[in-house]
Amino acid sequence: MEKLITLWEGSGLYNLELGQAVMILVGLGLLYLAIYKKFEPLLLVPIGFGGILANIPEAGLAISALDQAIHVANPAVLQQMASTLGATLDPLASVEAWRETLVYLVNDGASPDQLRAARDVATNVGYSDGLLYVFYSLAITTGIAPLIIFMGVGAMTDFGPLLANPRTLFLGAAAQFGIFATVFGAVGMSAMGWMDFSINQAAAIGIIGGADGPTSIYVSSMLAPELLGAIAVAAYAYMALVPLIQPPIMRLLTTKKEREIAMTQLRPVSKLEKIVFPLLLLVLVALFLPDAAPLLGMFCFGNLMRECGVVERLTDTAQNALINIVTIVLGLAVGSKLMAESFLALETLGIMGLGIVAFGIGTSAGVLMAKLMNLVSRMPINPLIGAAGVSAVPMAARVANKVGLESNPHNFLLMHAMGPNVAGVIGSAVAAGVMIKYLG
Amino acid sequence: MQDTELLHEGLALMGLGMGFVFVFLTVLVISVTLMSKLIGRFQPAPVASPARGKSVKSSASKEADDEVLAVISAAVHRYRSSRRR
Repeated sequence: MEKLITLWEGSGLYNLELGQAVMILVGLGLLYLAIYKKFEPLLLVPIGFGGILANIPEAGLAISALDQAIHVANPAVLQQMASTLGATLDPLASVEAWRETLVYLVNDGASPDQLRAARDVATNVGYSDGLLYVFYSLAITTGIAPLIIFMGVGAMTDFGPLLANPRTLFLGAAAQFGIFATVFGAVGMSAMGWMDFSINQAAAIGIIGGADGPTSIYVSSMLAPELLGAIAVAAYAYMALVPLIQPPIMRLLTTKKEREIAMTQLRPVSKLEKIVFPLLLLVLVALFLPDAAPLLGMFCFGNLMRECGVVERLTDTAQNALINIVTIVLGLAVGSKLMAESFLALETLGIMGLGIVAFGIGTSAGVLMAKLMNLVSRMPINPLIGAAGVSAVPMAARVANKVGLESNPHNFLLMHAMGPNVAGVIGSAVAAGVMIKYLG
Repeated sequence: MQDTELLHEGLALMGLGMGFVFVFLTVLVISVTLMSKLIGRFQPAPVASPARGKSVKSSASKEADDEVLAVISAAVHRYRSSRRR
């Protein structure tokens, strides 16, 4: 009978908390969106599944060896850990109370040395870091995974349209207004007392408006790791929603006549220009904004490999095998942040709301900038391509093309929209660099 | 008050960030344009040169073109006559 009780007390059903149950449902919801609705499936399948894994009671896949030991170890081990942490446990209190005391000690009171010693105790008795915890510390804490993905994106990006018409860089710059307006919005919400965001958290939320998954993850891992789960989910969910969010805004801000504007054919770009461009960008980053060097440096490296044409094997790995491996690890690691304690909060709703506002403002700013440029320049610019300035490569460019075709079936804007689209990637990386410099 | 301080900081970040993004990308536009001009001057459009080469046809390629043209028109002729039947 005693054995039966032990088995029952070790079962998931016995230990399942309400929050975990809700988070498992959230994970299933993400999987539904990814599989059935095709919302960025490459990222949302691993994230959703990681979220489910992270919330399996007692399995401790997303926590460190130390936390794991505090949660489940027997009283003798708890005593031993308490002594390494320089505390004694009240012999009269229950084991549950001991566990709470230890959690408090680990999170607040202990010095790094004591923590290391307590960790050693935990690993000695056979507890180890959870798989997702290892992925997280390997891929995201170090910032490696978003950077490698950025390299792959660089290896997939063709800067030809941008080089043929460099002024489209301004559209990519204007669309970054979404990021900063959202930062201000988040700060405003805290000032009104609706939410409680610090300036760092506000900056990390704003970067969702850059519509760039790796950049968002990179920035929030540096400025606000506690919000990373919600920010990554919001960023990828809204990137998938670009074809729904953007067209109404684009139609609202342009007249039919403007949407019909045909653009002049792009000039051919020589191979040498394409090789020199990433190097030029790198030099500028080095001169003006070293804080953006990790992101843009990897981006330029990937692009140089692509354009130089002598390392095809490396390019192929960077844009296929490597980026796929890293995507799996990154997705699961982000999923580990979907733990009930941190995700089920009012802040998450705030982040979701602010994220969509960021997208909307970015799109409008790009379109309005394109209209402004149309007033001052001789070469006609179709305002629709301004909307592609929020990165989301290549989805935003396809949306611009589609809306353009609706007004004029002979007007193919895709190549023209790729210019602001890749400019948006550069723009949001620059914006990320500024934020890290200013707040980091 | 702390709230207004937070708001000020947000506003400062917005101005500074947007300003910097624009300045950086403006510098990038200028340098890209210069780079393209320089490359265009020192290495006059390698993409265009083969196109120019084609317009000055050598007699050999012209002969080949004529031959291809003859073969194609014969094929088209035969196809049409077979359809008519």
